[in-house]
Amino acid sequence: MSCGPAACTLPLPKARPSIRLTSGGRFGLAVLGLVCVLALAAPLVCGHSHRQATGTPLAAPDRHHWMGTDELGVDLWAQVCFGARVSLIVGAGTALMAGFGGAAVGILAGYRGGWTDRLCMRLIDILLVLPDLPVMIVLAAFLGPSVGTIIVVLSAFSWVFTARVVRSRVLSLKQRRYIQASESYGAGVWYLLRRHFLPEIFPLASVGMIRLAGRAIVAEAGLSFLGLGDPTSRSWGMIIHHALGFRGIYYTDYWKWWLLFPWLALTLVVTSLALLGKDLEKAADPRVRTH
Amino acid sequence: MLAVKDLSIIYTGVRPHVPAAMNISFSLAAGESLGIIGESGCGKTTLALGIMGLLHGADIRGSIMFQGRELTTMTSARRRTFRWRNIAMVFQNSLEVFNPVITIGEQLTEPLCTHLGLSPKAAHQRVAELLALTGLDPRWQTGFAHQLSGGMRQRALIAMALGCEPDILIVDEPTTSLDPESRQAILDLIETLQRRLGFAMILISHHLPAVQRLTSRLMTMYAGRAVEYGITAGILRNPLHPYTRGLINAAPDFFPFKDLWGIAGAPPKPGTVEGCAFAPRCCQAGHQCTRQRPELAAVGVERRVACHKGGIETVLQAIGVKKSYRLGERKVPALNGVSLNVRKGEVVALVGPSGSGKSTLAHILVQVVAADAGEVLFCGRPVHKYTATSMMNGIQIVFQDPGEAVSHRFSVLDAVREPLDIMGWQDRPRRDRKAVDALGAMHLPISPDFLSRTCHALSGGQRQRVAVARALVTDPAVLVADEITAMLDPSTQAVMLRELKAQQHERGFSMLFISHDIHLARKIADRVYVLDKGSIIEHGAVFEVLGGSIHRHGRTNYCGHV
Repeated sequence: MSCGPAACTLPLPKARPSIRLTSGGRFGLAVLGLVCVLALAAPLVCGHSHRQATGTPLAAPDRHHWMGTDELGVDLWAQVCFGARVSLIVGAGTALMAGFGGAAVGILAGYRGGWTDRLCMRLIDILLVLPDLPVMIVLAAFLGPSVGTIIVVLSAFSWVFTARVVRSRVLSLKQRRYIQASESYGAGVWYLLRRHFLPEIFPLASVGMIRLAGRAIVAEAGLSFLGLGDPTSRSWGMIIHHALGFRGIYYTDYWKWWLLFPWLALTLVVTSLALLGKDLEKAADPRVRTH
Repeated sequence: MLAVKDLSIIYTGVRPHVPAAMNISFSLAAGESLGIIGESGCGKTTLALGIMGLLHGADIRGSIMFQGRELTTMTSARRRTFRWRNIAMVFQNSLEVFNPVITIGEQLTEPLCTHLGLSPKAAHQRVAELLALTGLDPRWQTGFAHQLSGGMRQRALIAMALGCEPDILIVDEPTTSLDPESRQAILDLIETLQRRLGFAMILISHHLPAVQRLTSRLMTMYAGRAVEYGITAGILRNPLHPYTRGLINAAPDFFPFKDLWGIAGAPPKPGTVEGCAFAPRCCQAGHQCTRQRPELAAVGVERRVACHKGGIETVLQAIGVKKSYRLGERKVPALNGVSLNVRKGEVVALVGPSGSGKSTLAHILVQVVAADAGEVLFCGRPVHKYTATSMMNGIQIVFQDPGEAVSHRFSVLDAVREPLDIMGWQDRPRRDRKAVDALGAMHLPISPDFLSRTCHALSGGQRQRVAVARALVTDPAVLVADEITAMLDPSTQAVMLRELKAQQHERGFSMLFISHDIHLARKIADRVYVLDKGSIIEHGAVFEVLGGSIHRHGRTNYCGHV
């Protein structure tokens, strides 16, 4: 208790809790890292163009095209690598937009309370009960197909999850004695936000954002598959869309490769996000954190 | 009978001169008794000797009127006729009072022969009577001073003083160094003698129960000056000068369960301080106090206080506070018109069973919760949302739960510095230093390593200390401690409360100590409020409400049902 400065050189717990990843989390992180690297370095790692035919159409994987080619003879490996860019942009963009927007709404609703809170909560309820896919299809159809539109449309439906979680957190924080103490010292909203709310909310919001990213990538693929994606982009969903749109699928078996690899990439990324998100969730919960 | 007016006694035999008693005024009617209290060296005995006319090498100014005759201007020969005959003194008990080589009997006979002109035989007879009167076997006449016990010597001293049947008896510390039984016997004796002989009395004593029992009026002296004067019972129940309160609060006879804490600091040498002599030790000293000396002024019926602030100030006041909580359709009353006040520098306990509304009241006082009705005043001004808590020298609260006391993400230094950051007090290095000082005051380590530790890595006791340090960093005038040790183990609790009390004692802030534990309240508090079902059912000094040794009537039954 009353140890002097000298006595306090005993082994101390680390100042900040470290996030410990499980093997699943590590796998997820590795895969995501790899995908990011591939997406960024796509021109370097791909020996072939992702737009021009470089081999025979519908080739099976071989030494030159180790994922095969599409109906025009364009290298699939290149397409998957470049497609990762679109998927990651959509995932990250949606996650950031919905995450920050949702957190802002959550903080506002939770901190202000009263009619602001009620208004936000009703809006969230409405968005939750609306079947999102049909609305997204309609919106995408009206706003025109582009990556930006897809991000906006996905964000418009995704912020509610973050907002709900953040609001409940702020509500419970507001009752904490140390927050009340800060308020009694005369702390304003900005101070509380900066020093108390944001540090508490950030881990929560980031977990939400990881989840949103996975959801957004799948949703983008879905929209693209339905033909509502950006036709000029070659996202994974678009590749699948083209593969399934190929009329010759009834005559040849090779189109299966065309379908398999984008699907595999999509599944791997989404699974990795889910695994990573699970680990972060544990880290964000103070009760689970090791003291 | 005796009227002392503006009496000043200055010892001129030493350089610089020592003004041992200054501007003392009081009057004493026949049969009345006046108590004089004060720390050692405050001029009590000097005053007594001055009235007796036994001081040499002292300059005496002002007037002492005895039965219409001025004593100060009399020749010493004429004065001697009054001494012993009319004004007698029971000296402070010690071996040196008596001549060690002359028997007690002879020493008692001497004034009888000189003043009353009795023959040796008659005087001898009278001494035997006197000794019997004071409960001492007349055979002890032949004894020497060193052969008598302390109690017997005290009786002999009283007998000597009463020899000439004086009109006024000055008794100087009659019970010091006596065991409780003899002390009681001596007090009984003085009381019966006064009733029987009807003399007026000036009692100088440190022993407050003696003063309480034997005197009707009381004067507190500090550094040679009277700082409070009034009716004994009134002063002891409700002292108005911080010094008088300090004396009473330090008395184990009144607060048998409380930890011993005297008045912080030491009295100055008389005459060395400009302004109020008590200012350096006072919890409410202001600018005026250090510059100008306060005069003894009337502040109420039969009460005079020498204080620029007119006595101890009230710092926190709740008037008719009401609060009810809504529980579905039902309204659950939590407080039904509670009023309390906390004065400067005192520890007030608010006790009551769980659910009596203690915490609600605490939260209303710091405005974390809004009251339905009633008012909270801080230094006489109404408190609006956080006005009193968001300033230096304001009100601060420490909450019950150490787990919630500080943010678990903050480092220790950040947590303690937070109030200063929010209030924008001075600059960063000074805030850091102040925070480190506050941590040091609560006996927390101040190594860089500890300062940068996050609060979640602290134990409950440490966290609560950090919370207390955080409250103290703003130098609050009032600290509201809401069950701060309820979740700690007894040892941690004891250590922490002692440290907190030490801080309170040193800095002189007021504390509202909220607890359901009356034993703790008795240990730490000066006054107590008992809250039950949202109403104050009792309040007063701790010894009155929660029981003490001489006030066993303990009016409350709170002790019973907890």
